[in-house]
Amino acid sequence: MKYLLCENPAAEGKNVVLSDMILTKDFPTTAGSRMLEGYMSLFDAEVVDRLKAAGYAIRGKANVGELTLGVLGENSYFGACAENGVLVDASVIALRETNAAAVIGLDASGTPRRGAALGGMVALKPTYGTISRFGTISMACSGEAVSVTARSVSDVRDTVNVLVGHDDKDGTSLPAEKCALVKTGDPSVSRVAIARELTASANAEMQAKVVAARVALEKSGVEVVEIDDSLLLAAKSAWNILMSAELCNNVSRYDGVKYGYRTKNYKTIDELYTGSRTEAFGELLKYAILFGSETLSTENYMKMYDKSLRVRRLVAERLAAIFSEFDALLLPVASKCAFTEEETRENVHLSYDEALYTAPASITGMPAITLCGVQLMGAAFSENKLYSLAEILEGGTK
Amino acid sequence: MDREVLRRLEKLNQLALTDAEKEAFLAFYAKQEREWEALSAIDTEAVERMVHVLPVYTVVREDTVIKKFEREDLQKGAPETMDGYWQVPRLVE
Repeated sequence: MKYLLCENPAAEGKNVVLSDMILTKDFPTTAGSRMLEGYMSLFDAEVVDRLKAAGYAIRGKANVGELTLGVLGENSYFGACAENGVLVDASVIALRETNAAAVIGLDASGTPRRGAALGGMVALKPTYGTISRFGTISMACSGEAVSVTARSVSDVRDTVNVLVGHDDKDGTSLPAEKCALVKTGDPSVSRVAIARELTASANAEMQAKVVAARVALEKSGVEVVEIDDSLLLAAKSAWNILMSAELCNNVSRYDGVKYGYRTKNYKTIDELYTGSRTEAFGELLKYAILFGSETLSTENYMKMYDKSLRVRRLVAERLAAIFSEFDALLLPVASKCAFTEEETRENVHLSYDEALYTAPASITGMPAITLCGVQLMGAAFSENKLYSLAEILEGGTK
Repeated sequence: MDREVLRRLEKLNQLALTDAEKEAFLAFYAKQEREWEALSAIDTEAVERMVHVLPVYTVVREDTVIKKFEREDLQKGAPETMDGYWQVPRLVE
């Protein structure tokens, strides 16, 4: 079980682990793919520069599912991380086995959020555009965000505050005054909504986690109200389409010519391209590419891709209406509390189903914090409110 | 989706699935399509597309030429190079 794909034994003092979706010039970056096995970047990602400037050493690179696809990293070329057959996110094991303060990841399809909440850690996917994505391996650019996983809410907050800020090198980076809202936003909380249908769709054990979170919040004086969330269910299919379409384009650069894996069996350029990609990409990534490509076809563009962009707006408007009345939305992070290696082998695209719970935040770019099996979503720049609520859960449901 | 469409997709994306993968992908695609069809009832006729999740701020910087990397550094990760160029099979006879 390889939870760190490479380790820096010289890392002393305060240190962090990076997901292998983040480029580093001193360590290989693989994105969990055979395509990039041994790949060395010529530069560090912006988040690495910021961490180093703040005095953090890089402890190592954590294993990830190929291009972050998958439920809990099960489709990494370098092998899944599992304990007694139950999948555990590599970031969670890294935090258990090392003294790293945090793991910096890339949240495109929810793995860091899912992994932390099911593995006894805390993860934050911040508001889109507040942490630079310069130097992260692109997967689904319109919704992915650098995420932070740590042992406690305060550790998450401390690390996020190092990373937040405008970056000229990232075309989607928000202005400095907007980024600063992540640190300075109002932390007061009084009302939380519960996503009724999303909660009902999870299994009994997961529903119990939501109930426990509700009880803890109410004990602290937070009013909790169940709301109609039926429109949010649409986020899953819409995000699966947008994510796959963007992924299909983002991985078109991997062709075995300038860098990465090259097949040994070719005579023509087409055989080089096809052989390299076919041999280097895993099963789920191939399906995601083909699915994404088809959603962009002449026949399906309006029906699927264009429709998804419109559904994205409806979901964002529904969430904005919710957050005009509530400080956050409480929902499960997954359909259940544990996933086995066997079930992800039998259903390699299980992560497309699990997007039901993580897609609302991914497709709208709104922040979400996960712990104790649940997820708290908030309006853009409401991270401080999410920290306040998460700290209540941290003390009340364990 | 039929096998002919899948064959076109494979060619377009420079991939070659095994027969077992083809069956698995067709089942996966059918499932995604069913889920999407269930949502097509949502009326989005008057809804504007949302391409960017937050207002886009155009990042502008000086249009100056810089040489950040040397050619040999850029080619360090290349599978095959020759005389400072990336090497691929002959394209034109």
